[in-house]
Amino acid sequence: MIWLSTRWKIAIMVIPTLLFFTLFVVYPVGYSAYYSLTDFIGFGTPAFVGLANYATLFSDPLFWRSLLNTVVVLVISVVVIIPASFALALLMRRPFRGARMLRALVFAPGIIAPILVGLIWVFILDPKIGLVNQLLTHAGVSSPPIWIGGPTLGPVSIALVFIWSTVGFAMTIFYAGLQLLPGDVIEASSLDGATPFQQTWAITVPMMRETFAITAVLVTTNVFKIFELVYQLTGGGPIHKSETLVSYMYYVTFTSQQYGPGMAFAVIITVLGAIVSVGYLALLRERKDVVA
Amino acid sequence: MTFPTTERRRARPRSALIVSAVAAYLITFLVLLPLFWIAVLSFKPNSRILSDPLGAAAFTLDNYLNVFASVPLLSMYGNTLVLALVSVTVGTVISFMSSFALSRMVFRRRRLQSGLRLYLLGGLAIPIYILLFPVYRVDIALGVFGTYAALILPYIAVTIPFNTLLLTGFLRDFPGELEEAAIIDGAGLWRLCWSVVVPLMRPVFATILIFNVIYVFNEYPFASILINNPAMTTVSLAVSQFQGQYSTDYGAMMAASTIILIPQLVIYALFQKQVIAGMTIGAVKG
Repeated sequence: MIWLSTRWKIAIMVIPTLLFFTLFVVYPVGYSAYYSLTDFIGFGTPAFVGLANYATLFSDPLFWRSLLNTVVVLVISVVVIIPASFALALLMRRPFRGARMLRALVFAPGIIAPILVGLIWVFILDPKIGLVNQLLTHAGVSSPPIWIGGPTLGPVSIALVFIWSTVGFAMTIFYAGLQLLPGDVIEASSLDGATPFQQTWAITVPMMRETFAITAVLVTTNVFKIFELVYQLTGGGPIHKSETLVSYMYYVTFTSQQYGPGMAFAVIITVLGAIVSVGYLALLRERKDVVA
Repeated sequence: MTFPTTERRRARPRSALIVSAVAAYLITFLVLLPLFWIAVLSFKPNSRILSDPLGAAAFTLDNYLNVFASVPLLSMYGNTLVLALVSVTVGTVISFMSSFALSRMVFRRRRLQSGLRLYLLGGLAIPIYILLFPVYRVDIALGVFGTYAALILPYIAVTIPFNTLLLTGFLRDFPGELEEAAIIDGAGLWRLCWSVVVPLMRPVFATILIFNVIYVFNEYPFASILINNPAMTTVSLAVSQFQGQYSTDYGAMMAASTIILIPQLVIYALFQKQVIAGMTIGAVKG
């Protein structure tokens, strides 16, 4: 290999990727970080204003609202998805006919464009025409909840739709984790007279601790990226009550064109995401150490 | 007394299995219910969608005719296909080249090699939302805003970290003897990559291609900012406009959603294995 590794050959192989990546990923991150410290208004020479944009953002109650909403979505999603998808993985692992097909079908919502997922769920959750409330009205409920468009349930509905699109993905990760478990431990416990429930609770769950952690981290990073669902389901409304971090950042930057605070917002989202990713990498490293 | 227990042990799993199967089918049905719902309603006249959505009567193709007349499906898919084809081809080729260099070739300074790989993988932690506005400015500065290139360039860039993760992961385990044999036979870098390495990596490429194509088809945030010409509207962008376009014409909206949904599900059905591998590989392989 060393004969082929001349300096210019390496350069030809590496430079196109580095160019694209640097110009369209690394430079923009630096750009946002720099302009988050200026009073940039889209043209002219921006003046350095220190952390003023961050202060503006922190004094905006809607920023905190969007953070709170994101946390609500996060908590509901993690609390529902983790146990539900693990249970689903256990269920789909049973050797019944069609299990493979069902696993693929449950995964399917995860590949539908988020912008389309949001639109589809408008027809399920819309207080007037939606399937849920039509069923509730049929069942005799006189004033069914206002799932979307109302003042309170927006984030809950966003979480619900997010859960729908992510549960199959989470199940697949658990399923793969289950396949890697050594069978002899389970077998030995059967011989010792353990019931299936005991086996799951006392053996499978503890052995899958890392898979649980990884799934939780992936669900978390994906919650921080929720945007299209908000756009389609509630538009962030009414009066920004159902915005999540990204949807409100999009509004601040592009709709109200406050570029300085918008860039500061983007930096904050990135830092939050980076914290989660670092946790994730630390986890993987730990797992590798265990293997080695 | 041992006979009854063994008998029960054999009998129980069977009934338990049936219960599991029924539960699994039921859950799957519930998960897919929203999709059935819009598909069924898309064949109903608008007047019935509100008054009698669960009723069986009245079947119409009007909603579909309406959508075919008002949505430029051909140009939408054409635009998206151009974006996907160019960005995924270029992205895959350059990612392969750099990944090959970063995992197989011999750098004078090893630190530089592993440093560059980490530099590219670091992109995995960057949410694309921080790139939106700066990329818009870069596109303007390069004079490509308003053209396909405005989207193609960032699409190539943002898929690089994932491609690098997958390709370097695979290339590291590539058998060195095959490589040496090819070089001794007089193969140059080009022939080594093209006729020895690439053919052995078909499954990895399949995963990357499918995964990236789906990314481009589903991508909305960049498209919403970098496309200002209605003639260049992509599929995702068109979907985002349905609610405004049809306002209360729910039948048309559902028909339009169904029309977009079906190709997605067909592609998924065909390439299920690669799609699932692409989406879960980071989590499962580590």
